[in-house]
This record gives sequence, structure tokens and C-alpha cells, in this order.
Amino acid sequence: MLDGKAARPFAELSGVSKYFSGARALEGVDFSCREGSIHAILGENGAGKSTLIKIMAGVVQADTGTLTVEGTPHRFSRPSEAAKAGIVCVFQELSLLPDLSVADNISISDPPRRFGLIDRRAQRERAEALLARIHCEDVDPRALIRDLSLSRRQMVEIAKALGKNPKLLILDEATSALTSRDVETVYNVLAELKAEGTGMLFISHRMHEVEALCDTLSVFRNGRHIETFDKGARTQDEIVKLMIGRDIVHKFPPKPPALSRKPHLAVTDLKWENRLNGVSLSVGKGEIVGLGGLDGQGQKELLLALFGVLRGVEGKVTVGGEGGIPSSPADAKGGRSRIALVPEDRKTEGLMLPMSIADNLLVASFDKVSQGPFIDPAKSRQAVADAIAQLQIKLNKPDDPVASLSGGNQQKVVIAKWLLTKPEVMLLNDPTRGIDVGTKQELYRLMRELADKDTAILFYSTDYAELIGCCDRVAVMYDGRIVTEFSGDAITEEALVAAALNITRPADAPAREAVPA
Amino acid sequence: MANDLTLPRLKSDDLPIVISAGFVLVILALGSVYTVATLGTMPLLSPNYLLTQLQTGAFLGIVAAGMMMVILLGHIDLSVPWTMTAAAMMATTVGGPAAIPTGLAIGLLVGLFNGFGVAYLRIPSMIFTLGVDSVMRGLMIAHTGGFAPQDSATPLMRYLAADKILGIPVAIFVWAAVSIVIAAILSRTAFGKAIYATGNREAASYLSGIRTRWVIVGAFVISGLCAALAGLLLAGYSAKAYQGMGNAYLLPAIAAVVIGGTHILGGRGRFIGTVVGVILIVLLNSVLSIMQMPEAGRQIIYGLVIIIMLLVYGRTAKVTS
Repeated sequence: MLDGKAARPFAELSGVSKYFSGARALEGVDFSCREGSIHAILGENGAGKSTLIKIMAGVVQADTGTLTVEGTPHRFSRPSEAAKAGIVCVFQELSLLPDLSVADNISISDPPRRFGLIDRRAQRERAEALLARIHCEDVDPRALIRDLSLSRRQMVEIAKALGKNPKLLILDEATSALTSRDVETVYNVLAELKAEGTGMLFISHRMHEVEALCDTLSVFRNGRHIETFDKGARTQDEIVKLMIGRDIVHKFPPKPPALSRKPHLAVTDLKWENRLNGVSLSVGKGEIVGLGGLDGQGQKELLLALFGVLRGVEGKVTVGGEGGIPSSPADAKGGRSRIALVPEDRKTEGLMLPMSIADNLLVASFDKVSQGPFIDPAKSRQAVADAIAQLQIKLNKPDDPVASLSGGNQQKVVIAKWLLTKPEVMLLNDPTRGIDVGTKQELYRLMRELADKDTAILFYSTDYAELIGCCDRVAVMYDGRIVTEFSGDAITEEALVAAALNITRPADAPAREAVPA
Repeated sequence: MANDLTLPRLKSDDLPIVISAGFVLVILALGSVYTVATLGTMPLLSPNYLLTQLQTGAFLGIVAAGMMMVILLGHIDLSVPWTMTAAAMMATTVGGPAAIPTGLAIGLLVGLFNGFGVAYLRIPSMIFTLGVDSVMRGLMIAHTGGFAPQDSATPLMRYLAADKILGIPVAIFVWAAVSIVIAAILSRTAFGKAIYATGNREAASYLSGIRTRWVIVGAFVISGLCAALAGLLLAGYSAKAYQGMGNAYLLPAIAAVVIGGTHILGGRGRFIGTVVGVILIVLLNSVLSIMQMPEAGRQIIYGLVIIIMLLVYGRTAKVTS
């Protein structure tokens, strides 16, 4: 399918190496990509994908090797130089300024000017045009970024990148924060861009996206370029094997036989503002219950309400038959309820990045390792060692800053922190987002182990495969309510999608379409 | 000093401390070169001189200790000057054995009020504590306006500030005691760890079940108590309390904390750094005046030292991270 495009590649790297304080990030990489094609880059976290695109986008400079764009050698010292040469990157870490409007953000690097001042109207029109191009006409260019959902922000980010007229667009995990609806939109946009002759580098941990979108795939491992091949040349299993360098036997741990369990966490008619409209749900000891549905149907709010973060929640919550709605996370974690929450964004809500791994592990349970008013060094060392061993966190020294770990290991720290509090109820908010395949599987196994030790687990995921593979039961939410529950073999992708769109029970469906705020 | 910088296994948090400790030695060396050249002696290295400097440093050191708790949270306490003054004035007004408890109670109240405003009303600390400082000043002027309250320090206050044990000023012991308590809180208690965690990222700390509001209130209370104690000692040292006695302490206290390596936006810094920062500032002032530097030059050098040291820290942090 790539015949006729055998012209010289748009961008070409040869012999590129990059070291960060002695540690190899990339070594001897030869890589090329062309216009009018979608090229996937696959690899575990730490495989060198991010470094590769940072070099191409001018964020960091290669130590050795050359970068050629359209036949001319380049050495970008900043992203704006790369943009001038036609390479623009949509970064995984959102780069929008929350207190500025959508229009301001889209034109931030080069606003349209009139008499030297920013021409607000031209800027707004430009934003409207770009948003229309990615089929996001419903985003108001005057809205502040902070008022948009994560998914919409990501769309704005893409619009911003398109505003620089890229010849090569790099998308780094650009779909990981998107709702299913926006993912569909992005697919269409990418197809259109491809037809217009734009080249794209696409980094994603979601295999089915790569399968659906990309023409060419390149696999990286440990800072080296392993192989590049056309779509369809290799099976999924072969690709995964190339990525991790070993075979994968089971993707998900086996589920225990379904049994009827006494509810441990029981939620009755939970309401909060207009986001939760009477949620009733129960999770038994040793059970993994999934939360499904489209993004923004109240799943996150439900988890936050159960953890005591939201004010003004009405309804009834009991854990082991006792207690009420927690008044704060400290209340939820302590006392009898012993609830833990693994939050959505590990970098801002889960971790204190500059602090040490040990301190991050202990931050929720200093009371447990204290003797009187003082922290007992022996006890805390032991707790840290146990946590690291239990989750097999790969680290150098526990005193290193947690920021030095890879994404997957950072997420393990967040989970280990809560395991140290010995929780009876675990609330997980999309814990595998942006994590490599190997670590994902470790987390699935861990969830099952915890359930086998009688922990009640409520697990929200945007990935249907995870819900199907991990959960004993799945409750699908729509417009702040649970519309359907599935258990056992009834948990299928078709059933989940149908329930998420609320097409099984049209009589209950509210008239308006629930758009994330 | 160059050797210190290249030591292996030095954590980035320790670098500012090593640099400022090195700078203390440089100040002493330069001062001694000057005195040898002009007087032929080295009075700067005599125990007597150094003890006097530490005694002067004790007041600043106690203020800075409390200030550090607040700065570690990413906040600031600008109410320190008039907390010091109010504590001292109320203590001398009451007099007798109740004087010191009264002064500390003032510090406690101001700290609670500051903490409440910042943690619960969510008013930025820079604004709220500035307002509190002004209110306290008004109250103190009202207090002395109609009549002349008793303003002489009690014997105990004088003893703590100006007396000596075995030739060592008692104030140094007080400073040491405060330092040990604060250092222990910061490094060995759950409250101390909670301060670092909250200063690093309040949202993540809150979601880890830390009662972040209590932590903020606690830090402001400690700052208020430290300021009050420093005010009491200062009154003891000058034998009386007077308007504006705390004014000279606010900015040097902040400077000492920051020179000692505490991040002004919170979350990072070691207590020993603040102690070194205090010593550096006190010695710098003293040596410059011994060198008979005119006031203008002194202020310029003092300001430049702070700016240059922070520039150096910024560079080294980039290299190490």
C-alpha cells in the first residue's frame, strides 16, 4: 500500500545516540519516516520513544548522529526551529496554560497581530477554523482551558499543533486521555491529514489503535531501534514479543469462579450536584468491580465522593455495614472504613515528584511507622523494603527522587503507598493510563492478588479490554447513574459499548447527550 | 571550598548548605586578612567575638526557624515583626512570672489566626499575614497611646537574653534548644514529613490522607511562637520593649532561610541550612561594619551576596537534576 511513495523519506535519523547523565536513552538509532503516512512507534516505557521524538521536535539535542529533514541536515536547538522545518509535536504532558482561553492557547507562540498588538478577533477566528478542522466545533474559543475536560484539552492541544502547519505531526500518547467519542474524531482527523500528505508519528500503548490507524510500525527496546515493518507483516503476539523481548503467556490472570458475595462497600442513591444522580452499587470482599461507560459519566466523581473529596454529597455509603460518607481523604483512609484511592493523574495527585521514593511510599502511613511522636527509622525502612519487594519496583536507591522512576514504576509507588495502609476498599481511577505492557500485566496480577486477600476493589478504566479481562462484575455508568451491571461471561465488548451508549434501555435515557464539562 | 563542591554522593539539597558554610569561612578569612593588615591582630577568630556573633544570631535564628516551617509549605509569614513587638510589649506590660507565658500566648494566637486565614479562608499568605502585621501594629499603638504601660523586661527575660553560663551566652542555648526541637520535628515526625509533602504538592498530600489544613495551621503556629520567643529575648537583651523592635528581623530571616537552601516555593530544604544561613548573614553584617564599609556599600554587598548565592544554587540544581 506504500508503493508509489518510495520517494526519499521526509525525516531521517542516522546513528543517533543520547545519554542522560551516563544512562543510555538512545543508542545508534537509524530511523526514517515519510509524508502522507502514519507511522507507529512501539515500545515499553523507557524504550527510548520519548527521547526519539524529543530529538526530532527540538526539545533535546542528540549527543551523536545526524537528523536530516527533506534532505537538509538539521540540529534543532529549540522546538520553534523544528516547527519551522515542519515537525510539530503534541506532547503527552499537556502543554496548555489553564488560565488562558482556548484561542489564546492555540496561537500562543505566534498570535495574529494588528499594529503590534494581538488581534483578538483574528485569533478567535483562527481558533474556530482549527477547531472545525478537528471537528470540535462545540469548543468555545473563549472558554478557559481549566474549564475543559481532559479529553477536550487534548483536542485543543491537537488543534494548536495543526496551527503550525506541520509536515510531520508527532502524537505522543495523544489519545490516552481522550474519551471514546473524541478518539473517533481523532481517527478521522488523522485520516484526513494523511490524505493531505502530512506525515505522522504515532505513539500509543493501545494496540488496537495502532492496528486501526498506522501504515508502518517501528519497535524500540532499551534505546535501540529493533525493527520496522508494514502493518500486517507481523501478528500482535509477535509485536508484543519484539517490544518486551520475551513471550507473554497470559494477558490477564484467571478469574475465580463467580460466587455471591456479601456487600462490603455498599452505596445507595448517591447524589452530588448534577454529576451523580443516584448511584447505587455494592462491592463484596474479594471482588473486583469495574466501572464502565463513556468518559465523564460520573465515574471519577463517584470515586472522589467515596474517598471524601467532594463536598455536599448526599446518599448512603457503608463499609462493612458501618459508617457514612467520609468527610475527607484522611477520614476515608483511617478509622473503620480504610478506603484507598489511586488517583487519575499520578504526577500531580499521586506523587510528590521531587521527594524520595521512600517518603512517597510512607506518606499515607507515617502514623503506622511511628513510635510516640517520632518516626521509627527501623520500622519505616522495613515498610519501604516490603513495599518495594511486593510490587517489584525497579529502583536504584529508595532515597532517590520518585521523579527518577519510569511511569510504570511511579504508578507502582502510588499503589504501594496505599497498600501500606492495609486498605479494605481500593478505588482505582484508570491506573494503567500511559503505562507499558509489562507493568500493566503486573498490575492486573496484583489486583487479583489483593482481591484474593479480601480487598474490595472498584476499578474505573477507559480500556474495555481491561474491564473484560480483570473484573468479576462491571457496572456501566451513564449520566451520573449506573444503567447496567454485567457479570461473568456477560461482560463482552459489545455489551459494554451498547450499555455505555445507553442503547439497551432507551426509555431511561435522558434527552440530552451528556457531554463532559 | 572547591573540594567541597566536587565531593561525591552529595545530595542536591545539601549543596547550598556546603556553599554557604564555605562562604562563612571566606567571610572570616577576608575579614581576618583585613584586620591583620590594619590592626595586626585577628580578633575575628577569637572565641569571644564568635560567641557575641552567635548571641546576636540567636534572635534572628529563632525567627528564621519558625519562618522556615512556613516557607517549606510555600507560604510566608510577614506578620513576624509586629508579632515580636506585640509579644514583647504585652509580656512587659503584664510583668512578673506571667510575662513569658503571656508573650508566647500572643504568638500562639497570631499563628492560629494566620493559619486559619491561609488554610481555611484560602487567602494568600503574603496578603493575609501582611494585613495581620498591620493590625498588630495598630493595636500596639493603641496600647501605648493613652497611657505609658510598663515596658521593662523581667529578670528572667534578661537572664535568657543577656546572661551567660560558663562564659557562653544563655541566648545561644535557647537558640540551640529551639533548633533541636524544629530539626526533630522536620526530620523525625509525621508532622514534619507532612510539611514537606504539602509544600511539594498540596493536592497529592491531601489525596494521601494528610490533613493539609491542620499542617498549615501548625506551621503558622510554630512561626508565631518562634517570633514571640525572639521578641521576648530581644526585649530582655535591650532591657525593654519598644515600638518597631521587630522591624529589622523580617527580611534577614527570609534571606537566611533561602540562603540556607530552602526552596522559596516550598517542599525542599534542610534545617541545618537555615542555621548556616543565619550565621552567614550575621557575620557578613558584622565583618562589613568592622571593615568600616560605609552604609551604602554594606547594603549593596549584602543584597548582591543574596542574589549571587541564589544564582549559584539555581545553576547547581540544574546540573545535578
